[in-house]
Amino acid sequence: MRVLFRPIVAAVAVTVTLTACSTTSGGDSADPSSIVVSGTYPMESIDPHSAEGGSAGKEFAGQAIYSRLTRPDAQGKIVPDLATEWSADGTATTWTFTLRSGVTFSDGTPLTSDDVVASFERLMAGDSPIKTNFTGAKVEAPAPDKVVVTAAKPDAALASKAATLYVLPKTVGADFFKKPVGSGPFTVKSFTPGEDLVLSANDKYFGGKPKVDQVTIRTIPEISARLTALRTGEVDLVWGVPDDQLESLQSDGDLKTGSVSSHQVFTMWFNASVPALKSAAVRNALWKAVDFKTIVASLYPRTGELAVSPLAPTVFGYSPQQPKAYDPAAAKAELTAAGFDFSKPLRLQFANAEFRPFNQAVVSDLSKIGVKVELLEKEQAVFIKDLIALNWDVNFQQLGTAGFDAATNLGRLYPCAAKRNGYCNPKLDQLLAEAAATSDEAKRKEAYAAASKIIWDDAVGMFPMSVQIAYVWNKRLDGFTLDASGYPDFTNAAVAQP
Amino acid sequence: MSEQIGVMTRLRAARKHGAALWIPLGIVAAYVVVAAVGPLVIGYDHVATAVADRLLSPGSTTSDGGTAWLGTDGLGRDVASQIVYGARTSLIIATVAVTISALVGMTVGALAGLVGGWVDVVLSRIVDVLLTFPGVLLAIVVAGLFARGLPTVILSLSITAWTPFARVARNVTLSIKEREWVSAARLMGVRRPALLVRHVLPFVVPPMVAMATLEFALVVLAEAGLSFLGIGLPSGTPSWGQTVANGKEYLATAWWISAFPGIALFVLVVSVGLLGDQLSARLGRNRRSPL
Repeated sequence: MRVLFRPIVAAVAVTVTLTACSTTSGGDSADPSSIVVSGTYPMESIDPHSAEGGSAGKEFAGQAIYSRLTRPDAQGKIVPDLATEWSADGTATTWTFTLRSGVTFSDGTPLTSDDVVASFERLMAGDSPIKTNFTGAKVEAPAPDKVVVTAAKPDAALASKAATLYVLPKTVGADFFKKPVGSGPFTVKSFTPGEDLVLSANDKYFGGKPKVDQVTIRTIPEISARLTALRTGEVDLVWGVPDDQLESLQSDGDLKTGSVSSHQVFTMWFNASVPALKSAAVRNALWKAVDFKTIVASLYPRTGELAVSPLAPTVFGYSPQQPKAYDPAAAKAELTAAGFDFSKPLRLQFANAEFRPFNQAVVSDLSKIGVKVELLEKEQAVFIKDLIALNWDVNFQQLGTAGFDAATNLGRLYPCAAKRNGYCNPKLDQLLAEAAATSDEAKRKEAYAAASKIIWDDAVGMFPMSVQIAYVWNKRLDGFTLDASGYPDFTNAAVAQP
Repeated sequence: MSEQIGVMTRLRAARKHGAALWIPLGIVAAYVVVAAVGPLVIGYDHVATAVADRLLSPGSTTSDGGTAWLGTDGLGRDVASQIVYGARTSLIIATVAVTISALVGMTVGALAGLVGGWVDVVLSRIVDVLLTFPGVLLAIVVAGLFARGLPTVILSLSITAWTPFARVARNVTLSIKEREWVSAARLMGVRRPALLVRHVLPFVVPPMVAMATLEFALVVLAEAGLSFLGIGLPSGTPSWGQTVANGKEYLATAWWISAFPGIALFVLVVSVGLLGDQLSARLGRNRRSPL
């Protein structure tokens, strides 16, 4: 009896434990109308006009909760959001947006052009980095459904810049963000900064109520923990998955994977204001010394592609350039000829541990020809401060192009006045000003192509890789967009019934 | 003097007791040899990466024809070489940090015990205050304050490690100074420094040696911990903690990156710990004299 009894007890214990496990690990995501997702970056704020503006986490929350005049679709094309149509005058200075009729905020109040004007003023009064998109601009509301934006100087990219202006009600009180009111597909159920954001479907959304009732956006900083949560079913969707992990996830029958070309490019600026890096010959020689083809193919076989332009292929204004050949011997000879000081190390700064292997590989190649590099991994806030202060020799960034228009990348970062990388070329300034001043798409494209060529040939930076974003999701989830910016849209997401 | 002869006799007697002492001693000696000789035999540059050879499993052939006996990491660097170079880093840091801690602790403790009075009160309270801090936490703070590098790591590890030495040294001194030969020396007019060096310290040293061994294991572990957290040595210096950290994303696919340095660390810490136990039993102050 005793002999029999023990295994039975053990079996019961195991069953009980297993059942307990499956219920807990299923968690809230087992609910058919609720999904849990975990992206790449933490969310610290849901105020779209705050100083965190433009940071990935907040941008992602912003598009779920609020609406804007225009928005990029999953491929980066600018499509209507609050505005159904827009047009510019002949000089691309005055833009008129027509608002969608019958739009209300989640509390039922109608959204009018006054709200757009108030939101614009709120953005400009704050310290958001986004406000430089609209420096000197004026916004007026001649009619409840008309918004007129007058830029300080001709700005052909204004429609795509309008995608960064989120519209809030005209009165935003001190407690507003505890229970924010928006006109986006979702409303906020609860928000814990840096941890999670719980969204409920907004039944007043002009695009129709989303199919899922609840979306939880959870921050899981450690990539391995995030992927474990995905495997156990605790989380339904993860994106920004590193290549090394993709393979084993692809073989998992419960998961689906997909990737989409983003607007991001690995960008390694040289600080041209440092004497050692002043000459284009030195910068080009350094670029030549790194075998980016092998590094990209080895470290990012699935989500990386050797870049051939400072811009990603998905961006307006992209034009492919002549790839740089890897030739360490020539590089060394050119550096010696240019009188490069091999004894002084270059300071290469970057943030985020995920980019450490890539930068280490670059440092290794440079050290092969005798160029010493001091690799500095900085904390995000320190990194940004040093980046703006030009306190670096080489700067690594995964640089995006908001609005998928070269204006927000080349036009914003490369003029002499921007002082972002020490490079100054009056001819480039002129091309960028020309591109901004016309609304003729062909002419803009031509100007950006010429600007790209100067940036590329003068090696303002090294542009090693254009980035794809890998998404991995539970197969019960369907209908969300694989977004090129890393901000998936859950408006049409649905969960298959088990 | 008879006491010191007794120490040697006891150590010799240990050979009869055998394995418990000699196995861990042998293992630790092997680590020392590897750390000292290995880097001369194996050429390895932590900065150089061979991305084409990344994530090779143990025993694979690399693109330059060599064999990666313990595999390669996410950047194609040989794991076996990292362990050998990491052993050197670990042993150097632990030796220096423990030596500094033991010297500082012994001096402070013996002074406090011998001089007594307000000197004792002040020194003992400093020790008490430091003992209330969690050691690793304080090490993290110190390591964060200064630029990354070997001296910073040694400083951050030594800053709390000396306190147990001071406590024991003080206790031993307190009891020794009441002994007859110390009183006799004092009556004969031997000055305090000489008294300390010739009549007290010889009895403080043996328990210090036993403690140093135990402390050594803790320092090795703490250094690996700091490097694992990325606040220890700069990334150009190989260290076990760093190698383990590099492998943590590959646990499911390339277990060898984290596993082998982890095992190396485990075996060293356990061996040193066992050795420390044996030494305490033989040299520790409980065995020293019937106080």
